[in-house]
Amino acid sequence: MTFSWKPTRREFLGGTAAVAGAAAVGVAPFASAFGASYPDRNLKVIIPTREGGGADRNFRAFSGIWKKYLKTKFEPRFYPGASGRVGYEVYMGKNEPDAYSLIFGNMGPELLNWVVKEPESFKVSDYLYFGRVDTDPGCVFVGRKSKFTSIDQIVAEAKKRTLTVGTSRMAHPASIGILYLGEKTGAKFNLIPLSGGKNTVAGAVTGEVDLSVLTSGTVAAKRKSVRTLLVFDDKNKLGERLDNAPTINDHFGTDLPPMLSSRAFGIHKAAVDKYPDRFAVLQATFKKVFTDPDFKAAVKKAKGNWEYINYGGVEECAAYSKSIMKIGARYKSLLSGKS
Amino acid sequence: MTDVPSNPAPAKSRAEIEKQPRGGELVIPGAAIAFSLYYFSTILDSPWTAQVSAFFIGAVLILLSLVFMVRTWIELQRGKASLRFTSLVNRTDLSSGRLGLFAITLGYILLIDWAGFTITTYFFLFFSMLLLNRGRKAGFAAALSAIMALGGYALFILAFDTRFPEGPFEIFMKAALNNGG
Amino acid sequence: MEADLGFLIGLFGHTLTFWWVIIPTIFLGLVVGAIPGFSAANTIIILLPLTLAMDVEVGLIFMVSLYCSSRMGAGIPAILVNIPGTAGAAATPLDGYPMTKQGRSQQALSMSFVASAFGGLLTTILAIIAMPVLAEVGYYMHSVEMIVVMLFGISLIASIAARDMLKGLIAGFLGLMIGSIGTDVVYATPRGTMGFLELYDGVPLIPALVGLFAVSEAFIIIEKKSIVTDEGREIMAAPSWAATFEGAAIAFRHWWHITWNSIIGLIIGVIPGAGASIASFVAYQQSRTYSKTPHLYGTGHPEGLIAPESANNGVTSGTLIPLLILGIPGGATAAIMLIVLQYHGVNFGPSLFFDQPELAYGVFTAMAITYLLMIFTILPLSRYMSRVTLVSTTYMAPMIIAFTLVGSFVSREYMFDMYLGLVFGVIGYIARRTNYHVAAILIGVILGPLLETYFLRALKKSEGDLMVLFSSSLGNILWLVLIASLLMPMVLGFRRRRAVANTQAGT
Repeated sequence: MTFSWKPTRREFLGGTAAVAGAAAVGVAPFASAFGASYPDRNLKVIIPTREGGGADRNFRAFSGIWKKYLKTKFEPRFYPGASGRVGYEVYMGKNEPDAYSLIFGNMGPELLNWVVKEPESFKVSDYLYFGRVDTDPGCVFVGRKSKFTSIDQIVAEAKKRTLTVGTSRMAHPASIGILYLGEKTGAKFNLIPLSGGKNTVAGAVTGEVDLSVLTSGTVAAKRKSVRTLLVFDDKNKLGERLDNAPTINDHFGTDLPPMLSSRAFGIHKAAVDKYPDRFAVLQATFKKVFTDPDFKAAVKKAKGNWEYINYGGVEECAAYSKSIMKIGARYKSLLSGKS
Repeated sequence: MTDVPSNPAPAKSRAEIEKQPRGGELVIPGAAIAFSLYYFSTILDSPWTAQVSAFFIGAVLILLSLVFMVRTWIELQRGKASLRFTSLVNRTDLSSGRLGLFAITLGYILLIDWAGFTITTYFFLFFSMLLLNRGRKAGFAAALSAIMALGGYALFILAFDTRFPEGPFEIFMKAALNNGG
Repeated sequence: MEADLGFLIGLFGHTLTFWWVIIPTIFLGLVVGAIPGFSAANTIIILLPLTLAMDVEVGLIFMVSLYCSSRMGAGIPAILVNIPGTAGAAATPLDGYPMTKQGRSQQALSMSFVASAFGGLLTTILAIIAMPVLAEVGYYMHSVEMIVVMLFGISLIASIAARDMLKGLIAGFLGLMIGSIGTDVVYATPRGTMGFLELYDGVPLIPALVGLFAVSEAFIIIEKKSIVTDEGREIMAAPSWAATFEGAAIAFRHWWHITWNSIIGLIIGVIPGAGASIASFVAYQQSRTYSKTPHLYGTGHPEGLIAPESANNGVTSGTLIPLLILGIPGGATAAIMLIVLQYHGVNFGPSLFFDQPELAYGVFTAMAITYLLMIFTILPLSRYMSRVTLVSTTYMAPMIIAFTLVGSFVSREYMFDMYLGLVFGVIGYIARRTNYHVAAILIGVILGPLLETYFLRALKKSEGDLMVLFSSSLGNILWLVLIASLLMPMVLGFRRRRAVANTQAGT
């Protein structure tokens, strides 16, 4: 029964992003090497999902370390709605392209949004992702009490009758994964969007749906209530934590590229063109975070999966964007409900 | 709000005065029909999932509103009702300060973005209390408004860190607190 | 999942030593609960740095007491000034506010405190005992069953509308239509948003609540000097403790009512996704249906106040059950608690009861103690809180408008939401002046999107076959209960009329 906190109110409210960054003590004399005074104020980060969700946790862990290299604080702002569209519209429409505001999104589902329907007030090429934080493959799972114990049982059953599949949203890499599996095996799946990871897990556990698909990082965190049966990646990197489930390509001899959700920071294209020096500071400091031992500790502390942390710069992000939009286009009618 | 029909000449037959003024009651059904039709126009070429529930609810709403209009029309025919809007808007709205208060409220929202939370809230409270009190007890209103606005500042901005629009007062206080702390 | 009595009593005693956390938190919870726009969930988020820095035990007790007390706090402005602090208290003013107008706000407050605290306490104890059974509820309540539960809540529109059915239904369906604004849940197509991005995620509830109840009310009350009638002012002229005791006594006399409605809340709370607003509407509706005096509802009837208040506190313990047992939070506050506790290394799921039973059961002992302490800390306040209603409307109306509009900004921090609060204020004002029931509109706005979500989910699962609505046996039982509860008032009314006719014929 001890009061382990004694800071003033201002101090602890000042650093809202304190979850993981509490340990940020040693400040590296890095950003000043670029001479310019950027950044001389807080950086605003638009997050197009709800506060308290997976993106929030991921962001706090990352920004807690990044801030010590960038020597500034991050102010997260949450704009959920319409599968992330609202956040992007707000970022592009209401924030100056001056490199003082960033967007922290989930590249996979959010790029698939644009495949289904173009953004309203800007073009997809008006912003670019420059900092990939992780790559988290989709997976197929059922509740612990489900009668299905292997993916083969599911495919066999789905050839007889259409199985319902819970998904976080229609336009999601994991949804594409299960549609692809159906196409290759002749199994019939009916996607049921359950809005968000929390409800998707709940749907499978309570039996609302026969099975669910979701990013495997979230599923691994719930492994006591669920059983993972298939991973949409080249390798099951989490092994035991995903019940040693096989990968789709190994098990079915297919050649599906990894169906990844991938959290990344994005920025206005106009800001990159106008302030190349600022953009360089962002890129360089961003990369530093991945080799910082505090970051690994922060990810572990937030119950994240270190195996999925995967640095990527502008090129990696662009390559990913291209491939996900290409495969998304193939499934456009199924994802948009229009034939 | 709705247009106020200028009240007709005072000389009116007794029967006319006792008629139910149904004009105001038609505002909600009218708006409901208009809104439903607008809503339908936004989902005409949407997937069925976007349509099914809204078309059902909208259709029932339009139907109910039309039934209400027919009911009112029958009352009109029987001379039991009139189309006056007195139940919604009448002279007491002006004398009670209601329209004035509405104008001040609208001003409050328009100005808060520009002059910040604390100052705008202070002036809103002060002027509306003054209006409702017909200019009396101005000193008390000023003091109460100040306490409320500063209390709101302390609670919402200092204690809960809410991101209200900042004005001169908030910017000054921030600088003062930062220097002091 | 077994815990013997000795263990529980020991834990109870241990939790009691944290009174120094619980009592200040109760007051914080009352304040944040009473301000529309604030809730336990966003307070925990705001205080996250503090909560995370706390010792896990202190943090847990803090969050649980904040959760319980904010729920109770939301009822206070609902009773005193007709402004529910959260959507969960939206059914509270139906009978609470008429009592205030009659000068019985002190009774109403103490009644609601007793109902809340005992409803909460009782369901907490039930939760400890029946945890394994209750955890199963979620396995049976799927989209089809939830559609029927939603319809139970929505059928309240029809009872509210009893005086003029047509206008009541127009108000309710207008609410449902307004509630349909936003992107559809399957393909995220924007609908009826008038081009406002801020409406893509649906109509935010706080501005709707604030506008329909508070702002419109403020514009109405300025006609009179006080919201309390002249007779009511006379009653309140001599303040005494008697009114507090009277209210508490009325509540205790309705102990069965509290029990029944808090259990409704508990069960609805256990279902993931359902919440306090549904529970209080369903409770109010059920209470009215089976009441001997249904005609008194809406006029300041104690049962009409006790039902929603005991139900929404029953929800509080309910939502934590799926969190503890399945690691699936039942609501927003539970979701945030999950994050905080995970940060502290707590692993949820059935194993929690073996690994850290003091934590798993500690949640409920903390809740029980909060409710117990609340009775002693809050009940005396009712005498002073009720004086608020005697403040002249000259000062009250501007303050209501300013602070509730500010509240509509707080929950999402969009300027747009303040405008929306005013727009809803205008809608509410027109509705009040022309005798459309604002509560009916609000029920539509709150429950409409939930009903649509479950409805679409069911239809998507059946690939468009409407018969899916009657495809589950539990669902069919619920349908029958729903139909029975709709027919019951008619049957009872008919029998009462016939009885009256018989007596008259006999004399």
